Amino acid sequence: MPYLMMQDITKHYPGVAANTDVNFAVEKGEIHALVGENGAGKSTLMKILYGLEQPDSGRIMLDGKPVIIPNTYSAIRMGIGMVHQHFQLIPSLTVGENIALGYESRKGIFVDRTGIATRVRALSEQYGLQVDPNQRVAELSVGIRQRVEILKMLYRNAKLLILDEPSAVLTPQEVDKLFEVIRNLVHQGRTAIFITHKLHEVMAICQRATVLRRGKVMGTLEVVSTNPVEIARMMVGADIDTVQLTTTSRPGIRQLHLEQLVAEDDRGLKVLRNIELSVHSGEIVGLAGVEGNGQHELLEVLVGLRRPKSGQIYICDTLATNLNGRQRREDGLALIPEDRNQEGLSNDLSIWENLAITRYYTAPQSRGNVLRIGHLQQKARELMQRFDVRANSHNTRVGTLSGGNAQKVVIARELAETPRILIAAQPTRGLDIGAARFVHEQLVNLRDQGVGIFLISADLDELLAVCDRLIVLFEGRIAGRLTAAEATRETLGLLMAGRSTENEVTTS
Amino acid sequence: MKEVQQVFRVLITLALALVIGGIIMQVSGKDALNAYSVLLQSALGNERAIADTLLKATPLIFTGLATMIAFKAGIFNVGVEGSLYLGAFAAAWVGFTFTELPALVIISLAFIVAGVVGGLWGAIPGYLKARLKVDEVVSTIMLNYVAISLTEYLVLGPFFVPGMSNAMSQEVALQAQLPRIVSRSQWNPSFFIALAVFFIVMFMMRRMTIGYEVRVLGSNPTFARWAGMPVRRIIVLVMFLSGFIGGLAGAGQVLGVHYRFVAGFSRGLGFDGIVVALLGRNTAVGVLLAALFFGALRSGGATMEMFTRIPRDLIDIVQALIIFFIAIDVGFGWLRRRFAPLTGGSETDLLAEGAGD
Repeated sequence: MPYLMMQDITKHYPGVAANTDVNFAVEKGEIHALVGENGAGKSTLMKILYGLEQPDSGRIMLDGKPVIIPNTYSAIRMGIGMVHQHFQLIPSLTVGENIALGYESRKGIFVDRTGIATRVRALSEQYGLQVDPNQRVAELSVGIRQRVEILKMLYRNAKLLILDEPSAVLTPQEVDKLFEVIRNLVHQGRTAIFITHKLHEVMAICQRATVLRRGKVMGTLEVVSTNPVEIARMMVGADIDTVQLTTTSRPGIRQLHLEQLVAEDDRGLKVLRNIELSVHSGEIVGLAGVEGNGQHELLEVLVGLRRPKSGQIYICDTLATNLNGRQRREDGLALIPEDRNQEGLSNDLSIWENLAITRYYTAPQSRGNVLRIGHLQQKARELMQRFDVRANSHNTRVGTLSGGNAQKVVIARELAETPRILIAAQPTRGLDIGAARFVHEQLVNLRDQGVGIFLISADLDELLAVCDRLIVLFEGRIAGRLTAAEATRETLGLLMAGRSTENEVTTS
Repeated sequence: MKEVQQVFRVLITLALALVIGGIIMQVSGKDALNAYSVLLQSALGNERAIADTLLKATPLIFTGLATMIAFKAGIFNVGVEGSLYLGAFAAAWVGFTFTELPALVIISLAFIVAGVVGGLWGAIPGYLKARLKVDEVVSTIMLNYVAISLTEYLVLGPFFVPGMSNAMSQEVALQAQLPRIVSRSQWNPSFFIALAVFFIVMFMMRRMTIGYEVRVLGSNPTFARWAGMPVRRIIVLVMFLSGFIGGLAGAGQVLGVHYRFVAGFSRGLGFDGIVVALLGRNTAVGVLLAALFFGALRSGGATMEMFTRIPRDLIDIVQALIIFFIAIDVGFGWLRRRFAPLTGGSETDLLAEGAGD
């Protein structure tokens, strides 16, 4: 009998099937990886386990007994602890105060500070998590803060620890240290669920891995008898419901060109190394890769939100490296961002207000700093019809739309005036098959009209269905370049897992 | 529906504050009902009372609007007080320096210079936030002290008037002094300037590009940046506008009430703007109504103190209670808890924050 069993868990939000009949089992004393792209349903599943969400159906068995987890408090009482990606610590309090917060041991009516400090010290020694209970959290590095988070869970006697992408914020040295800690925890009888999309980490410390994709379990693998390629292939999918849309492309002039692009992330680590690529009008170039290999930073560089360390960006033969986002858009750049709800839309505003944002400041949308609201609303109605946005009116709040309709608003805005180069990042994430199909058709139509399209995606089916050329990104480097004819699931999967076949040969 | 809910929330807030204020009076042995009826009488009972209410509301309309503009953009500007002081001094300076100018010119000039000076003062923390990501709450609070002390220094130093025992400037030219409209009240035309600013702000927020930019920035700054909005420029501009209106508030007090700059005269009119903006739910109309409400409380409170034995501190207590109930968001909390089981919404807690993808 597994320690934890989540059976037939289903959770649907309006327009999004976050979890569908998910079965997930964890044995006592193992490190179990939960892998999948963003939006695959990992977080929802863990929120259900931690009492933050209630499933629509399904049941949870813990230690052989069926349980209902109405809130986090009961989850903690059952011995489930979660270390969030964004730490839940109070910087102005000390380590000890943070760890004991809400679960203080007392002496009469007073908080037993020495008792807490003693217990924290004992725990940190037992598990090799060196911290000073009297130091303020504000003074600690990210790696140490994470230790505090873990200690907090141990202090609450968590037997099952959920670690949500714990390595995402750490340096490589800190990651090694973290792995040591996790191994140590498991040796001493605890169980860990390790959420990640970094496959080498799965191989390094996990015994088993469950792969989620589009809200469904693709399979549970024994790490000893699998390899990163197989996991990657499972993550990016092998269903055949997407239809091959690519016809013949007629590449024309160069619309986007990146020259020896180097960029660092917020921690100052190199995340893009000598990226060299071009996109021509009338072709769809796909950038394949498991998430977190530099795609996000590349997007930021492309729209002017992150300054490259070196290298140049050309948009339609204009040197754009030093242009701001608005200037780049005026030169013909359009963007479907990765995170629809944060980067692509404002959920609190109406549809017309969301559609207006790219061109509101020029005639005929405004005149002398005064918006022509009637004109903008009229245009919004036309776009809603043209792109089949289903909503009551142009005044409908975008936050009330389903995922597919919301994405249509983004697409309507970006394609309202035909761009010269469209960057589409994960454009079908979280969408149902019908909506995804709509997006793919739009991309292909646009390609046939002579627009250059740069499609950044982690979904192999999507890439194989619509791309003319494919570039694989791995750890900030271009790991391979393939034509649509050469590309197969196997070759792509291999490259995405880091088996570089070619070494930086510039082909474009 | 949304508007109805907003109004409902505000009314609950006010009702609770007044009821608890009444309980406090009753407990301390005063007759609460009598106090409130005297308060109402002395705020709205006759022409003079109404004039006083409008007088007290005038600076609050300015500072409430100034604060609201920044809040709407998601900028927590607590520096309206500073802009108000510098604007007040600037208006006084124009008033006692260009004494040869005709009335309309000198008054207009005083208001414009006050606005620009207040605006530039507000733009400083705006620029620091936009360029260097300096937290505006800290910088604006600190700059308030600088503004208060700076203006005090100006009237004690470079603009010292010999023979004056208090820290105040010369009187402004006679033709720059806004006339009183009703006898035995200081009510003056700066109220109508505040009303004009109210209509301009409403137009700006609803119809102009800057209003749209403020809405987008306030509702989702990440979206604004990814869509290529000039976010930094907007932040500086919004802070300028906010400070500009704060400066006008200062000019209104100087030209309409004191006729000179008096060090430390405001005693928190800029901060009251925060309460007004919050109670007004960050809308122009709401700010106007909230300012009038507080104006009535203040003018009524002063008279009430004279006729009953209830100190006007009661007004501060009611104001504090309003802040308290706004902070815990009464109306909304009730609704949410009542309807949570029906809509299936769950109460989230602190730990829920980081669980997203």
